[in-house]
Formats: sequence, structure tokens, C-alpha cells
Amino acid sequence: MMTKKQIKKAFLAGFIGCLALSFASCDSNEYNPTPTIGSFFLSVSGETAEYIIQTNNLETGNLSISDNNGALEKSGYTWIFNENPSVAVGLIYNQGDPGVCLAYGIKSDTTLTELKQFQIESRFTSYGFFDKYALTSVGGVTPVDESGNALVDGSGNVRSDGATFNFFDLKNLVLTSKTITTLNITGNGDQATFSGIVDMGNGEFLTGMVVSQPKAAGAGGGASSGTITYPDSVWVAAFDAILNLKRIYRDDRISYSSGRFRSQYYSQIGKADDGSVYVFSGSYESATTKPCGALKINKNATEFDPSYYFNIEQETGGYRFRKVWHITGNYFLLELYNDFTITTETAATQYGIVNMGTQKFSWLSNGFPAKNQITATGLPMAHDGKMYFPIVTQGNDPAIYIIDPATASAKKGISITGAKTLNAIGRLIYQ
Amino acid sequence: MIKLRFYYCLLFILVFTPAFSQNTQTISSEIDTANSVNLESVFVIGKSKVKEINESAYNVVSIDTRPLHNTTLSLTQTLDRISGVKIRETGGVGSDSQISINGFSGRHIKIFFDGIPMEGLGSSFQLNNMPVNLSERIEVYKGVVPVEFGSDALGGAINIVTKRTRSTYADVSYAYGSFNTHKSNVSFGHTTKNGFTFQLNAYQNYSDNNYKVKTKLLDVNNGTYSNEEFWFKRFHDNYHNEALIAKAGIVNKPWADRLLIGITLSQEKADIQNANIMQIVFGGKERKARSIIPSLTYEKRNLIVQNLNFSLNATYTNVRNNNIDTLARQYNWKGEYRTKGAKGEGQYSLSEFDAQTAYVTANLNYKLSDKHYFAVNNLYSNYTRKATDAVANSENSTEATFMKRVNSKNVLGFSYLFEPSKRWNTSAFFKYYEVNVKGPVNVSTSTTAEYEEREKSFSTTGYGLVMTYFLTSALQIKTSFEKAYRLPSERELFGDEVLETGDVALKPENSSNINLNISYSNVWNNTHSVYFDAGLIYRDTRDYIRRQIDQRYGGASYANHGKVLNLGVDCEARYFYKNIFSAGGNITYQDIRNMEQYSIDGRKLVYYKDRMPNVPYLFGNIDAACNIHNLLGKGNVFSIGYNMRYVHSFFRDWQSESKGGYITIPAQLSHDINLTCSLKNGKYNVSFEIKNIADAMLYDNYSLQKPGRSFLVKFRYFFFNNKS
Repeated sequence: MMTKKQIKKAFLAGFIGCLALSFASCDSNEYNPTPTIGSFFLSVSGETAEYIIQTNNLETGNLSISDNNGALEKSGYTWIFNENPSVAVGLIYNQGDPGVCLAYGIKSDTTLTELKQFQIESRFTSYGFFDKYALTSVGGVTPVDESGNALVDGSGNVRSDGATFNFFDLKNLVLTSKTITTLNITGNGDQATFSGIVDMGNGEFLTGMVVSQPKAAGAGGGASSGTITYPDSVWVAAFDAILNLKRIYRDDRISYSSGRFRSQYYSQIGKADDGSVYVFSGSYESATTKPCGALKINKNATEFDPSYYFNIEQETGGYRFRKVWHITGNYFLLELYNDFTITTETAATQYGIVNMGTQKFSWLSNGFPAKNQITATGLPMAHDGKMYFPIVTQGNDPAIYIIDPATASAKKGISITGAKTLNAIGRLIYQ
Repeated sequence: MIKLRFYYCLLFILVFTPAFSQNTQTISSEIDTANSVNLESVFVIGKSKVKEINESAYNVVSIDTRPLHNTTLSLTQTLDRISGVKIRETGGVGSDSQISINGFSGRHIKIFFDGIPMEGLGSSFQLNNMPVNLSERIEVYKGVVPVEFGSDALGGAINIVTKRTRSTYADVSYAYGSFNTHKSNVSFGHTTKNGFTFQLNAYQNYSDNNYKVKTKLLDVNNGTYSNEEFWFKRFHDNYHNEALIAKAGIVNKPWADRLLIGITLSQEKADIQNANIMQIVFGGKERKARSIIPSLTYEKRNLIVQNLNFSLNATYTNVRNNNIDTLARQYNWKGEYRTKGAKGEGQYSLSEFDAQTAYVTANLNYKLSDKHYFAVNNLYSNYTRKATDAVANSENSTEATFMKRVNSKNVLGFSYLFEPSKRWNTSAFFKYYEVNVKGPVNVSTSTTAEYEEREKSFSTTGYGLVMTYFLTSALQIKTSFEKAYRLPSERELFGDEVLETGDVALKPENSSNINLNISYSNVWNNTHSVYFDAGLIYRDTRDYIRRQIDQRYGGASYANHGKVLNLGVDCEARYFYKNIFSAGGNITYQDIRNMEQYSIDGRKLVYYKDRMPNVPYLFGNIDAACNIHNLLGKGNVFSIGYNMRYVHSFFRDWQSESKGGYITIPAQLSHDINLTCSLKNGKYNVSFEIKNIADAMLYDNYSLQKPGRSFLVKFRYFFFNNKS
């Protein structure tokens, strides 16, 4: 009845040594007494089911969807990958029901091993890693008191300003959840939905805030926020591991930091290699007067760097962006809308590279598919100074495009014959 | 496995044995209906209507359900015993059940209740709740559907026919069994001398469904699952449902042969124990539904001119559905829970949906001499759905959730039957389909969605041809063809409720359906009788309406794509020894394959020519019954019956995709036994049933375990007076 995980082909083991050396060369460590044993982990979807495919090579050749480890029990996992400990976490929460989330590691022979199955408490619109945790969050939930009764506002209406965080402890493989209330969190009477998670490295994490009025009954495009009262302001919250609000960063130079599509809140904050955190704003809100751009929070700083402002919209010629991913150093990858005016349904299939240090923006076009060719994208992986980006183009099998941020160019890597989409890519290391 | 193979062989032997017992005698195969009433758990080829339908040119199976009235079967469980039909249940009493005919299910098949479509009548008034006693016969039309059932039934139709007698009758039963299950049924009918008629049917189902299931255990304190599976008793799966069908009116008047007004009231409440995989358990989720269905029936033979018959049926349905998930708790299978910080075990909901459906169907048929029959049938339906409780639905809704959606459909059918002799007849028909939909569409030019109501229309024409020929009076061949359609729904026509993406020109899903049947029935010396039917089916289904998400265009849209070919065989065989012994069985094999080579955007598909996943393709039933007559008094019958159900294992996903490790739904084999004691010509009846004797772990769907062994006892009183 259950999926049988096939034992991974033993002949691959021979290649691992050589490949491991090439991985090792990118490490900052000068010498590596023990070569790294690792494998790339691809999440692919077929027509009816989802699969995991492992490979040691992302650069050339083809794999087939049937090279998988067996069908997964459900479809629609969001895969995220933690480095230390090296764990792939498949989060799932479909159609209003919890799902069975999965955590995988690899063994010394690079075969996958299921570490744990767990059940998260709520759906999620944002996720990331913090300390030893894989962390998810969702806003707009109805908070309760200790006996489980809904909290009500001054006029007796049921509140919806709760934000639930699920903490999956990757070291001990246990899960805890906590819900906080966000009413008046910024002092202006509004509530907040959180977007993105960035580990400060000092026991705190940063998360972008979409500050809004409570969601009006029956409105809001499936999202948890209501009307945005202050579309020309940005807020970022710093929390500790037990969700004590440590401080709020606020500024008026950009709009809120979150990319939105229906109920989703895409992260627009990211940490550069030097520890400074860049807070982007794609200026999603139609009402904002601020161009899309970015601010900076220096390492361990308690406020935005007043001297740093990057007007990205000026560099893109008026295009705004929806998603932001860190690649390496000061380089970030932006996913930009295809039109100047954004509506609830505007497509976003063009990409650019920003160097946040030099404030240089470059369109990603050399070697990369054109915007009218991209039918689907997956979750990219930053690795070895490059970005490995799963892309499906019209009439072709899903493929990985390897993006070099320094030259803003890309080349096509492996493709997966017969797959419908390539959802995510990550790397697992035997530890 | 060896055990399975044994049964599998047995199934073949039993099914095919009677077919080889050749005999050229041509005695009428009619079985005495009066006697057949006392045969338990056996399908008998009754005469009259059932026989007449079975002998029509359509690939139709009509069964007399009266012999099953002493069992506790529901109508779906009864259907499951018909060749080519498969029922897949998700759990115990009241659980969701999916009906399929030759691999078609959901919107591809249509279910009728006395000729009225059951679509939109609400979950509290569905076949899986209805006791078999409600019906007198069941008709299953495979692939080719007569115009009288005016609907876009792509893959076939089922019609449940209730009692239609002018006699006085009363049928009262009560059953009690495992898992605290109670089922009762009362039906009563009376027609006065001056033509006033009254019929009442009421039934009730109640069960705790606290059977045991095997799954993993969640530690609510740390959110992780056990590695091993354990047995747990279901603790939040109570179900109850009540329904009342009342009809009153007049019969045999110069201006109406029948004029009835009726009302059907039904309600249900179900605890929801688990999600769509067993591992996820709930302790407080529930759903409720109720339906109110007034109806009108009018029939007049020889309207204005001789041999012109008219009938009209109209129903209006008001359905309310509630989904309730308010507990701030996370449960595990031991019934332990942890208090959460937010409302809802899944998604917080107090949602309420209202739907109204209206059907008007009118039929006019005319017989010109004994050779020509004409029929015109028109079915109009109007379906309106609206979410009503805005506050309760707010968490994951849009403005559009609360806007009205209307789907109105008209199907006009015309058929002509030519019957030059009693040996053969042929019929041709046309169906003209029209659909008109209204619904919300996002017309926003900013980041705030704005919805407007839009309207669209759609029409198409279908046709078919059927023919039958009696080679001898015992041997019949039939063939039928239909070009059948399934019209797009409001949601499909409007895409993802986004103006641009909904504009794609959709075609209806369509299928070319061909049947070829041969049947043989014969009786020797009024002692041995056999019945055999073999049907070949061919279905070429195209232009499936598929939801498609393309990142270049933003939202999702619907497009036509796909080609599926089904070549199948349905066989049924039965043997009777007087009215003392009977045995029979059926087997269905359907080879349903994807014949689409490329994906919607032109990529090569690895599952080209793969068998359709998650569809049973080999299954069958065997039954046998033995009756002892006149034991301890005349008119008493003691019977023992046996039933076996087998479904071959099948893959959940495309075979060529999931080579690295298949998820399969394992082979299902279950045996039921029943003992019935029927006294005074069937007036007083007691039956005892054991279902799933071997206590097998049964799954119709991946992960969703069905009940193990269960016991039921049923008491029934039946009174029938033919004189009035």
C-alpha cells in the first residue's frame, strides 16, 4: 500500500567522490579532509502524482520522470532545504486540510531516508529557516483564548488578526506551533500578515509586514490582509524564538515588503553574504506612490540604514517585481511583472539580477528563455555562486537553467523528460 | 495472493460455465415474478417491464430489486452488483460514494430518480443513503442513453424506478447492526375507488461508524507521527440521515391518467473523522445538509388523438449545505488533542451554501400503427448556487465567493423507432443541447479584485442509432451507437473567474460510444433456466475539459485536451434450478488507455497508451442462493444467500511515471452471507447478514479504509393487496 522507496542505484556511488571534490572546492574552508557526500534533490510533478528524483549532475544530460524514488502520497508539497543539518522538508496544507509533511535526509550511500512525518497546524503563506527551525507563517487567522473561544474586537466581531507560526525543529525532529495576535502591532490600529523569514544569526529573525485593516467579510482576493491604510510605508518585525516582538523597523521610502499573488505572500527580504539584510518592495499596491526599490538593515542594526536607498524601478524602466531570491554575495535574482500596470492576474515571467552593493540591475536574457516562452517556474537553488532555476518553456520538458549573476547570463542544464513541472531543487549532504 | 488467484479462477469458471451449456430448446425464459419475490439476494429476470427494457436495443441492464428488499443494501451497494458498474466508497454509512459506468464517473454519468435528474438534489438525498426498498427496479444505460433521459450523459445513465402501483401496500422494516447502525424504512401506498392515490416513503439511517482502522499515530505534543501503524477505533464518525417522500393526487380521470403533487424532505448530519488520507484525523469537523423538493407529475395517454401520450415532470429543489470547523484543536487517532492558538482544525469555517435547482421535463410520444414510434423529450434545468454566510466564509474567500452562479441547460431530444416485426427494431435519435451560464468574472485593472456578473451561452447537437435482432426467441443481438456530449459548466466557461482566461473557446467533452451485445436466455422443462449476456464496449472520448495554469498568462484557464480509448467486456451469467437454487455472476474488464501522445503545450507524454490511473479495470461479483419452501407451513421460505465482490488491484498514478515505486490500491475480495426467514408469503420477514466475513481490510480508494466484518439483523413486514 505504501510507496516503496527504491534503493538508489549503487553505481552512482563511484562518481560521488569526484563530484564531491567539485562541491568541496566552493566551500570557504581551505582544506577538506573528508570529501562531502551529497546529492541533488529534485521535486517533480507528473500528471497525477509528485515524485523525488536524485541526481549528482545538474549541468548536462537528461533525466526522465520515471527515474524517481516512487510516487509520493500527496501532491503539492512545498520543498525547502536546510543546510545544517542537511534536511529537505516537504510542507503541505491543501484545500483547507492539514497534510502529512515529510522530512528527508540522505545516507552515506546517498539514498534518501525519511527522517520524520509531521503535521503542521495551519496553512502557510510564508516560510524560511531560522536557527534550528524550518519556520512557516500565516496571517488572518481567528485567534482564541486559552479555552479555545474566539477573541472578539470592541464591537463583538470575531477577530482575524492572528498569525500562526509552525516551528519544525530540524535537530530534534519535533514540531511546535504558536499563534500571536497582531492587532495594533504597529501602533496605528492595523493588523499584520508576515512575509519572508530571515535569520539574523543572533537568536532573532526578521519578517516583512503587510500592515492592513482587518479583512472585510467576503473580500480580499483570498488573502488574509484587508485594505492597506498606509501604502507608502514599510515595516519589518524582529522576533525571537518564542515570538517575542523585539522591535519594528519602519520607513517611508518604499512600500511594504511582500510580493502577492492571491492568498500568497512572497518573501522580498534577503540576507547578503556580509550579513546585511536587504528589504525590497515590489510596490504591489496600486495605491502606493513609491517606486519599487530596496532599503538595507546592516548587521545587528536596530533601524534601516538611512543612507541606503535603491530605486530599482528606475533601473528596470518601470517594471515592478514580485519575487526576490538571494544568489551569492550582494547578488539577488528578481522576478518581474510582464506589464507596467499590475492587476491581480498580471503574469511575471521576466527576470533580472541586482547587485545591491553597486546598485546595478541587469536583465537576464543571455541564454535565458524569453518571457513569452515561460509557462511555469519552480523554486530555485543558490549553489556554488550560481542560481539553479527550474523552468518550463512552451513545448519543452522542464529544465534547470544555471544563472551566473556576475555576467547576468544563463545556460540550460539538465531537463526532465516527461515531467509536467519541476517544482523545487535542493542539495542534501551526508552528515 | 494464491487465495486471490483461486477466487479469481472461480469467478471465471462460474461466470462462463452456464454460457457453454448449449441447448437449442426455445422455451420462453420468463421466471415467475411471484416466486422471484421470495428469492433472496439474487437478481431475477423478472418479466414485464424489466424484461421489456432488457430486450430493448439499448445496452441496458434492468434489474428487479424486489428480491433484495429483505436485505439492508443501499441503492449504491445494489448497483455495485451490476456488470460494468463500480461503486467506490470512502468509509461506512453515509460516506461519499462514487458511481462509475464502464469507467465513466462524476459529471460523465447522470443519475435519475423516476426520470428526474438527481443532480443538485443535495447530499442528503443520494443513492448511497437510500434503502433498496425504495426502488422497484434499477436501469443502467451504458454509453447510449435514450432521449427520455434528456441530459448530457457522456458515459451513461442510471434510473431508479420507485413503486408505481394502484394496489394498497405497506412495507415496514427496521435493521440493527454493528457499529450501532440503525436503518428503518416505511412505505405505504393506497388508491381509493374514486381515483385518489397516496404514496409515502420514509427512511432513516443512523450509524456511529466506529469501526477500526489501521494508521499512524500523531503525537499531539510534538507534531510528529509514529513510524508504525496501529489499530484505532473511529471516534468521530456519527452519521444520520432522514428522508420523507410523499405524493398525492388522482388517477384515471378523463383529463389525467395521473396527476400527482409531491414533496421530498431530507436532511443529514455527518461527523468528519478524517481527511482524504487516513493519517489526518479530526475530532470536531462536521457537515450538514438538507433538501426540500416539491414536485409535480402529470400524465395523459391518448391526448387529443389516439396513441399520443404526454407526460410532464417538474421539481424544484432547495438545498442548504453547512461545513463546520470551529474547534481550536489538533486531534490524534487516540482522541487526544492539543489546544491550538487559532480557530479551526483545518480551515476555520461555519460556511453555508444554498443551491436551488429546477427541472422541467416534458415527453410526448406517438405510435403510428404498430411499426412507427415517435418521441420528443425536452428537459430544462436551472441551477443556482450561492454562499450565504459571509462572515463565516471569510478566511479564504473572495468577493466572488458570495456572488450568484447560474447554470441553465436545455436538452431537446427526438427519436424515431421502426419495428417492422417482433424480431427486429431500430431507432435513431437526436439531442440538441443548450447551456446558458451566469457568474462572476474579475474585471479589475488594479491589484484589488473587482467582480462583475457575466453571461455566456453554448450549444451542440448529439445523435445515436440503436438496433436489435432476435436470431431465435432465446438469442438476441443488439448494437448501439451514440455521439455523446458533456457540456462545460459555469466555472469552466469562465475559466478561473478572470476575464481574459475564460475567453478561450471551449468545446464540449465528447465521446463516440459503441456497444455490441449478445444475450441468451432459456428454460428447460420449467426446471433449469439460464441467462447469459456478453457486451463489448468501445468508447472514444475526447476533448476533456482541463484546468490549465500558465505562468505567462497569470491565472488559470480551461482548455480541451485528451483522448481516451476504452475497449471493454461486460459479461453476466446466471443459472436457476426451479425456484430453489440460483447462482450467477458477472465480470467486467475495461481497457481504458490514454491515447494522447502530447501534452497540452506539445510535450511528449511518457504515459501515452498507459492504462487510466485510479480506475478499477477488472472486477466482478458472484452470488448464490438456496431457498427452502413451505417449511413449517405453506408460504414460508427459508433462504441462504452468498455474495462475493472482487476488484483487481490498480495503480493510483500513471504507470510509466511512477516506475520508481507504485502506489496501488490492493485487490479487494469480500464475502457476504445472509439468512432470511420469510413467513406467510413474504408478509413477515427476518434476515440476518454478515458482511465482509473474512474481516478483510477493504479499500476502494487509496488510504481510506472501509469497515471490517459486520453483523446486521433486519425485521420486515410487507403487506400487498392487489384488489383495490
